[in-house]
Amino acid sequence: MKKHLLSVENIGRTFGGFKALEGITVNFEQNKVTAVIGPNGAGKSTFFNVLSGVLTPSSGRIAYKGKDLTGTPQHRFVHLGIARSYQITNIFPLLTVHENARVAAQAMHSRYNIWSNRERLKDLDEKADAALNAVGLHGCRDAVAKFLAHGQQRALEIAVALVADPQLLLLDEPTAGMGPEETKDMVALIERLAAERTILLVEHKMKMILGLSDRILVLHHGKLIADGSPQQIQSDPEVRRVYLGQSHGYA
Amino acid sequence: MDFSLIAMQLFSGIALGAILVMAALGLSIIFGMLGVVNFSHGAMFMVGAYAGLWVASLTGSFWWGLFVAPIAIGMFGMAVEFLLIRPLYGRSVDDPLLLTFGLGYVLVEAVRIVFGSDGIPFPTPSQLRGVVNLGIGYFPIYRLFVVGVVGAILLALWLLLGKTKFGLIVRAGARDPQIMRVLGVDIGKVWLLVFGLGVGLTALGGVLAAPMRTVNPEMGSLVLAEAFVVTVIGGMGSLVGSVVAGLLVGIAVSMTALIAPEMAQIVMFALMALVLLIRPQGLFGKSGVQA
Amino acid sequence: MTNINPIASPLASAGRAPATLATAGGWRAQLVKWRVPLSILALCLLPWVLPSKALAVNVLIYGVVCVGYNLLFGYTGLLSFGHAAFFGTGAYITGITIVHFGLPWYAAVMLGVLGGGLLALVIGALSIRTRGIYFSMVTLALAQLVYYVALQASNWTGGENGLRGFTVSKIDIFGLHINFLDPLQKYYVLMAFAGLALWFVSRILNSPFGAVIEAIRENETRARACGYNVERAKLMSFTLSGLICALAGTLSAMHLAIVPLDSLHYQTSGMIVMMTLLGGAGSFFGPFVGALAFLLMEDVFSIWTSHWQIVVGSVFILFVLFLPKGIWGALLAWRASK
Repeated sequence: MKKHLLSVENIGRTFGGFKALEGITVNFEQNKVTAVIGPNGAGKSTFFNVLSGVLTPSSGRIAYKGKDLTGTPQHRFVHLGIARSYQITNIFPLLTVHENARVAAQAMHSRYNIWSNRERLKDLDEKADAALNAVGLHGCRDAVAKFLAHGQQRALEIAVALVADPQLLLLDEPTAGMGPEETKDMVALIERLAAERTILLVEHKMKMILGLSDRILVLHHGKLIADGSPQQIQSDPEVRRVYLGQSHGYA
Repeated sequence: MDFSLIAMQLFSGIALGAILVMAALGLSIIFGMLGVVNFSHGAMFMVGAYAGLWVASLTGSFWWGLFVAPIAIGMFGMAVEFLLIRPLYGRSVDDPLLLTFGLGYVLVEAVRIVFGSDGIPFPTPSQLRGVVNLGIGYFPIYRLFVVGVVGAILLALWLLLGKTKFGLIVRAGARDPQIMRVLGVDIGKVWLLVFGLGVGLTALGGVLAAPMRTVNPEMGSLVLAEAFVVTVIGGMGSLVGSVVAGLLVGIAVSMTALIAPEMAQIVMFALMALVLLIRPQGLFGKSGVQA
Repeated sequence: MTNINPIASPLASAGRAPATLATAGGWRAQLVKWRVPLSILALCLLPWVLPSKALAVNVLIYGVVCVGYNLLFGYTGLLSFGHAAFFGTGAYITGITIVHFGLPWYAAVMLGVLGGGLLALVIGALSIRTRGIYFSMVTLALAQLVYYVALQASNWTGGENGLRGFTVSKIDIFGLHINFLDPLQKYYVLMAFAGLALWFVSRILNSPFGAVIEAIRENETRARACGYNVERAKLMSFTLSGLICALAGTLSAMHLAIVPLDSLHYQTSGMIVMMTLLGGAGSFFGPFVGALAFLLMEDVFSIWTSHWQIVVGSVFILFVLFLPKGIWGALLAWRASK
């Protein structure tokens, strides 16, 4: 019996009368890259939001390392080892790159200390720099985040999630808005990260996903319609129907 | 405690609530469409009362005051939107709030300069004086009139917002002004009209309230707090909520005045605190949807 | 509702948030390091520079209020319109404990601060359940509740006439006998408290918690995703801010020997907001500069007209439109761009 890092059982989420997610059951294994794909409106963002604690499921359970996580407030997730990045860049715009990473690192250590001087917490600097190095941003550590190029901001987005040293990393469209060169860099980064962590990502760029993932989940109308290796998914008739029936084909 | 007294107090609460509804509705409409909380709303209420007073003293007729003042102040509101609030579009959501607060300051002082700081009594119009016997008690005619007018306005608003193209635009635009632009709607004109409407409603509330209270430069400051309380209880951006909460608060204050007069003002704030504890989005507000 | 660019925090887009220290160059960092001693130096000189000692004391008191308020507004990004509640409560408790319980002045001050802080905890806990503009409305309304309670509880508070009958005339501390009725001695005693308050705020801003509230201001969603309990942090900031404002209230009570009911009215809250903005919400010195500017304007304009408020209100509107950074903030930005 393999140890599942994260398992979700019969997850459903409704908004008003609208069923955004319905009956999703998946077990995620460690150290694999799993991609979640599906047409627009399939429920990918909602699924991610449920997995990262932004939304509580209307029904079903989430278990992480065997412990029930359902209903845990969002801010606890990163302490348990689950971190996420956002599709629309969500960083601290007026702080520098280094400060962005540092404040994220601080969350693991000191949240309510009103007395000490925070400059003294030296190991935060190291952790922040390590994360920035990992994503290749160490060169611009003193730049104000707001003024970075788009690709650099996306990298910072990941660094901020990475600094918590999460075992499970949820990446929401990490290559959103990126051209081919930047996408290649991001793919390389994700492959490096995948060596030590479990990665779950939402993406639209099919070629990228097929090359990168160990496993692909396909959502449609809030339901899980396919689950398998890239080869299996490519030849799945239901998936082809869902995608080729839409005006957005393979990206 | 006889039934007649309770009925009269209840009705008095409805009349009070009707005024609150006028103030809160104006606030809610402006917020729903423009995303702006008008911190000069209380001052506009007060300016409406003074405008009504002034027109009435010029023409010798309350009715002219009642008719002209809200329109005039509404137009003033449109000027405010165009000149002061529109330049703030795209900036921090707090900026219009801060600006309108400063505006309220200026308006109060301007009224002091023009009319003096003392309160001015506003006589009830002769046609509406006295009481009428409705079987269960003697009710002041003027208050019946106020409830009637507010009821008529609510009906007119319901028709305007529900049945006209303008109303459709207002309701849809409240959700996404970008879409409105794309569809070719002149959103600037809509904002102008909505702001004018909101201000006009509160000015009308001021004129209606004038015979019931002394007209003085400070009369708006309580109204602002009251409008906030009603909006919080009813639910931000919900027009139905403003109406229900306004009446609820009016009745609660009035009935409390019967039992424990010193608690009357406090009870509305206590209600608000209760709502915040149990249902922070307000009675009719949507959960999680806040400013 | 307008779709606000998710990457820009409201204060950021208004240009009001403090500029990052690392990028602003060495002089800014030095200013930050020495901000408490510099402030105290400026405060020492104030009675000699300003036209009257009464004005100096007012600048002191309202400067402290605004610095305390700015902890919540400028640094955490929460626009409260009800901070008069804490200022007034601090003042009232100080007065009440002296008048009705005969306590010595230092006990009155301590209780005033604690009482105001406790009220901030309660009001904060209720208000923080809401966000954005809604939050501003709720804080105004809850503070107005305190106003009405004080109005009604006239046996304790003196109701509409305010609380009177407590004059602190002499202070014996550390072997010093200070004549509190002498304006200059009074000033320096109050300044000692103000200095402590400034030092306390500066420590908070330098602390890890200081980074937390800035993160919340910059991007609340991201702060939560990083692992911060945003609601709890906001409440802490709210309470600390209330404590400082309550301290200013106790100083005001000691200075005036009366507590006017209006110190609890939302007009006072609004005045605090205006002062803070006039100086610049984005810095440590800004609120003090704003209090100075506001009170100077009042002092000067009230000579010409009793309607000085219309001038101040108009100036404020102009600031919101054209100079949102405030006086000090604009000065800093100009200096940094050279």
